[in-house]
Amino acid sequence: MVNNIFTISNLNLEYGSFQALKQISLNIENKKVTALIGPSGCGKTSFLRCLNRMNDLISDCKVSGDVLYHEENIYGKNYNVISLRTKVGMVFQKPNPFPMSIYENIAYGPKCQGLKNKNELNRIVEMSLKKSALWEEVKDRLKNSALSLSGGQQQRLCIARAIAMEPEVILMDEPTSALDPIATLKIEQLINDLKENYAIVIVTHSMQQAARISDNTAFFLMGELVEYDETDIIFSTPSNSKTEEYITGRFG
Amino acid sequence: MSMSNKRKRKDFVLQAITYAASLIGVFILSLIIIFIFKNGVGLINWDLVTNDYHAQYYNGGINEIEIFSKTVKPSELSESDFYSNKWGLALTDDINREGRAIVVVSYLANDSPLHDMYDKNDLENNTFALEIGNIVSSIKFENKESALSVYGAEKMINALENETEFREIVFSSLGGGIRGSLITTLYTIFFTLIFALPTGVCSALYLTEFAKNNQFTRIIRGMIDMLTGVPSIIFGLMGLAVFVPLTIRYTPASGANILSGSLTLAVILLPIIIRSTEESLKIVPDEYRFASLALGANKTQTTFRVVLPSALPGILTATLLAIGRVIGESAALIFAIGTAVKDEISIFGKSTTLAVHIWSLMTDEPANIELASTISIIILIIVLVLNLLVKLLSKAYLRNA
Repeated sequence: MVNNIFTISNLNLEYGSFQALKQISLNIENKKVTALIGPSGCGKTSFLRCLNRMNDLISDCKVSGDVLYHEENIYGKNYNVISLRTKVGMVFQKPNPFPMSIYENIAYGPKCQGLKNKNELNRIVEMSLKKSALWEEVKDRLKNSALSLSGGQQQRLCIARAIAMEPEVILMDEPTSALDPIATLKIEQLINDLKENYAIVIVTHSMQQAARISDNTAFFLMGELVEYDETDIIFSTPSNSKTEEYITGRFG
Repeated sequence: MSMSNKRKRKDFVLQAITYAASLIGVFILSLIIIFIFKNGVGLINWDLVTNDYHAQYYNGGINEIEIFSKTVKPSELSESDFYSNKWGLALTDDINREGRAIVVVSYLANDSPLHDMYDKNDLENNTFALEIGNIVSSIKFENKESALSVYGAEKMINALENETEFREIVFSSLGGGIRGSLITTLYTIFFTLIFALPTGVCSALYLTEFAKNNQFTRIIRGMIDMLTGVPSIIFGLMGLAVFVPLTIRYTPASGANILSGSLTLAVILLPIIIRSTEESLKIVPDEYRFASLALGANKTQTTFRVVLPSALPGILTATLLAIGRVIGESAALIFAIGTAVKDEISIFGKSTTLAVHIWSLMTDEPANIELASTISIIILIIVLVLNLLVKLLSKAYLRNA
């Protein structure tokens, strides 16, 4: 029995007159890493942003189709977007910590949900930093500005910030594209540790990264889902010739 | 080869024009500063800032004297200090802030019989005393001509030294100080900011963060831009027509007052604060907004907890600009706050700010350019200090962020 956390069927997305996603149907498994690959402009980031309704912020964006999270359509009427986003966290392409202290960055989410208890907040900050493998590096300077951290540390802080909400899913939009190889390696190790507790959906431009860290891989092309399967199968015996051409570097 | 030389010449000319243009600005600024300092630096001292503008006149009388002073002329007094041994009093010639000749008390011995003078106008006055720095305008005697200050300190002291009694000494405090106008200015800054800052910042938040970009907000923006261009004297008229009656009705005020002036200035400042706050909100990266929303924060939380704090240095700068405008504004305030230079300041009473004080000094006959320039120096110093303060604040804020 496969444990699906997201069930997506016939998802279409339009920016004005441009159709960015066409009839996407796929399932995302819980406590697995799902990689979304494909050339620039293929719709993988748009797809990712559908999962926590961040596309709502783009003014002329229209979505149709079903995105079921725990069997409930998140695009249904009266669906609580705020509570969805507390359960489906997001890490962005560029590290974007708030211009506050390290502590405040992580405490921000829980505080917005109305948590005021100091001890509880301290516990959450420590737990999140430990889970994101940042605790040892910053435990003595939690009051320092988050902007004083290095790029890789900032990105792990952003992951910690998402973990602080105790989500079920973490969406990552090319989280290592702005980082050097060593910082990238640390994030990849972190993702590997995190998948014990969280479902992770990651958009990546690096085929090697997808092959290294993901359990399932979806290949997008021109707004369509070309192939979706276990990563080992995609990278060894893809069923679609386009997939094979892309992963062997013949285009994209 | 010739092409390249021609091009070099052309570049040189163009660059020279840009240098010259920027030099014009520096030149004009230096001219202003040189002019102000040349005229005003002579009068600048701490007393100017702490003294009253209106001199207090006193008539000092004295009872029959039994013991005269035994103090001899102290060595620290100079040739120009004329000293009376008998009275223990030294007078010197000086020029007051209006440029007129005066006689000033430069020394008063501890055993001077003048310490026993009483206030002829108010016998109950216990604080009455002749002090160093007081201006002596005349000494009147029972049986001979009065000694007037127009004849100088030497004649006055000689006339006094030859007598063992006098009918009265007319003296006054220095006057011409700007304490009242300074306090009014500070009050005005405070109240104007109280009215204008919250309103302006909230309007800017509404326009940039909450409002949809539609015809309605475009009209609001256009109107705000138009307000920026309205001459301040028109705002002054509005203050006179709206805020002065309003404050008379709801406060103890009976005419133009600090409150009506502050409200008028607040209206002048609103478009400036709104526009510059909007600019500083626009440069807050969208990544902060996305990150906050993705964490399950709602729009209001995102705006007030992330966006507004990030825009704070910009808002501080806007505040500084606003304060500069409050200090410098005169046209609107002539109507909205009045031109009466006062020493006793009440927020419901007439008084005047430093800028309007300059205006009234220059409309006096003859115009007092020296004092006006001195006040200008003080205004420049206040603006400079505020400037540095805001820079330090935003630096400290950015370091902590």
